[in-house]
Amino acid sequence: MWSSDLLRAVRAHAGGERTAVYDRGRAWSYRQLWETARGVAGELAAVGVVPGRPVLVNAKKSAGAVALVLGCGIAGVPAVLVSVDLGADAVELLVERTGSTHVLGVDVEPEPGAVVGLRARATGVAVAEAMPGDPPLVLTTSGSTGAPKVVPLSRVGVERFTDWAATTFGIGAGTVVLNYAPLNFDLTLLDIWATLVAGGSVVLVDPDRAADGRHLAELVAAHQVEVVQAVPLCLRLLAAQEQRFESVRQVITTGDVLPSAVLATFPTVFPNAAVHNLYGCTETNDSFLHTVTDFDTTAPLPVGRPIDGVRALVLDPDGTEILGAGRGELLVSTPFQADGYLDPDLTAARFVTGVAGHDGVFYRTGDIVRRDADGLLHLDGRDDFHVKVRGVRTNLQEVEHVLDQHPDVSEVAVVAIPDLEAGLRLHAAVRVDSDINSLALRAHCAKSLPRTAIPSSFEIQQSALPRTSTGKVDRNAISRSHQEARKAHV
Amino acid sequence: MSETHAIKVYITTSFAPDVSPDELGDDYDLLANGVVESLHLLRLIAWLGERFEVNLEDADVAPEDFRTVATIHRTIAELRGVATAAR
Repeated sequence: MWSSDLLRAVRAHAGGERTAVYDRGRAWSYRQLWETARGVAGELAAVGVVPGRPVLVNAKKSAGAVALVLGCGIAGVPAVLVSVDLGADAVELLVERTGSTHVLGVDVEPEPGAVVGLRARATGVAVAEAMPGDPPLVLTTSGSTGAPKVVPLSRVGVERFTDWAATTFGIGAGTVVLNYAPLNFDLTLLDIWATLVAGGSVVLVDPDRAADGRHLAELVAAHQVEVVQAVPLCLRLLAAQEQRFESVRQVITTGDVLPSAVLATFPTVFPNAAVHNLYGCTETNDSFLHTVTDFDTTAPLPVGRPIDGVRALVLDPDGTEILGAGRGELLVSTPFQADGYLDPDLTAARFVTGVAGHDGVFYRTGDIVRRDADGLLHLDGRDDFHVKVRGVRTNLQEVEHVLDQHPDVSEVAVVAIPDLEAGLRLHAAVRVDSDINSLALRAHCAKSLPRTAIPSSFEIQQSALPRTSTGKVDRNAISRSHQEARKAHV
Repeated sequence: MSETHAIKVYITTSFAPDVSPDELGDDYDLLANGVVESLHLLRLIAWLGERFEVNLEDADVAPEDFRTVATIHRTIAELRGVATAAR
């Protein structure tokens, strides 16, 4: 049903013995992937899924999980992909919001081509109506709130995107592509799904070993990976191995700011690769591409220029379009974008029409950009409360809100602290009325926040938090005193 | 100092300085609650290898083996081939 393009492609490739997926040292041919996916579809029918009604896929990334998503497609049920780190409360909330009839996972990793150990829990939600638009996949934003936004992808949008990605990065039959991102990230539309449509081979990074640079380097070398798309964290880990990855033709950094010291190593580490900075988001997929020409720069990489078919507007705070050089909020309209969120109220707030006299639907990215005199766009940050933690967009206010709901907490401030390893990490200053410790507050956060949104460090006190002269919690003071304390500690 | 206590001292000092070692339960989920983040895990494994003189780097271990103080202790005991219960 869904994304017939993808299903048709995988089935067509299944005639040959080419490798579709490498997972934890095992190669899955297209034939084996297809057979396991068909087995999943059979099991799904047996547990009583209803065509058109979504199911929630809460599975750790693996070849079996990829087959599970394909099997959902064969069974005609939209797969809602969620972060495996999501707390139990947040999962239940998503089940309700999406009307998912089942929560699915992979219990036992199958042998290639064998029947997957499907874990299926019927949710008992009333089957009301099919999800509109017959979405090929339903992604959930990794937002730090207990309520991730639900983004049903557009079928035609996904087909256009996989075409664009294959053409732009030369992904064809047999091309080996590294997949670093979790299954619920939009990045997988490029490194997993576009690759499978094209008949390439996906090398899955085991999420348990994603922080192990030596392992990543072994994967790239052993499989002669040609295309690497990843957040800067992965690229930094690879670069630190002081190896030369001769097989890599395309390096795509995305999702966060690449440190210039890491970029400077690329001509040595990836001697044969074109290097790109790719900008996008779940709602619209990729919209800007910049191909690096200067590796010895301390300036952050620009997001570059709109890719073919993308329209981009820069608006000042009054909503007036800035033509030429200037700074403002970025709005984009892409050939790949979703029709909106599942929640119409959210859609109305972010997917807007009639902007500055332009036709079509534009998405408000919330990102502040600067357009230079040459027409290149540069990211200038977001509003103060949105940060990226290990590539995951996180709203500090939402983390504060969750902590604030704990009965023992009377004041809270969460700040983002620069960190050499992680880029940014979260620090929470909390005023409490009891002797509660950080372990209990962490367990409280874990119930409704993804793991990246659980603060890395807590400062717990029974006295008031510092305030500015206007009476607001003084985040700068909290951030400063925490960093000074850490320096003294080291 | 018992081995589990030594593990608790290291974890609280390194990753949760406001907590005293005795407050950290044997079965507290260090991974789901973000006490030990993925980037910390390699550091923890290096320390365990040194402190308990076991070779964890080449052993067949997964993050699951480090989920709680109890599982960490069990993992080390198994690697030593000592099938004794936690002391």
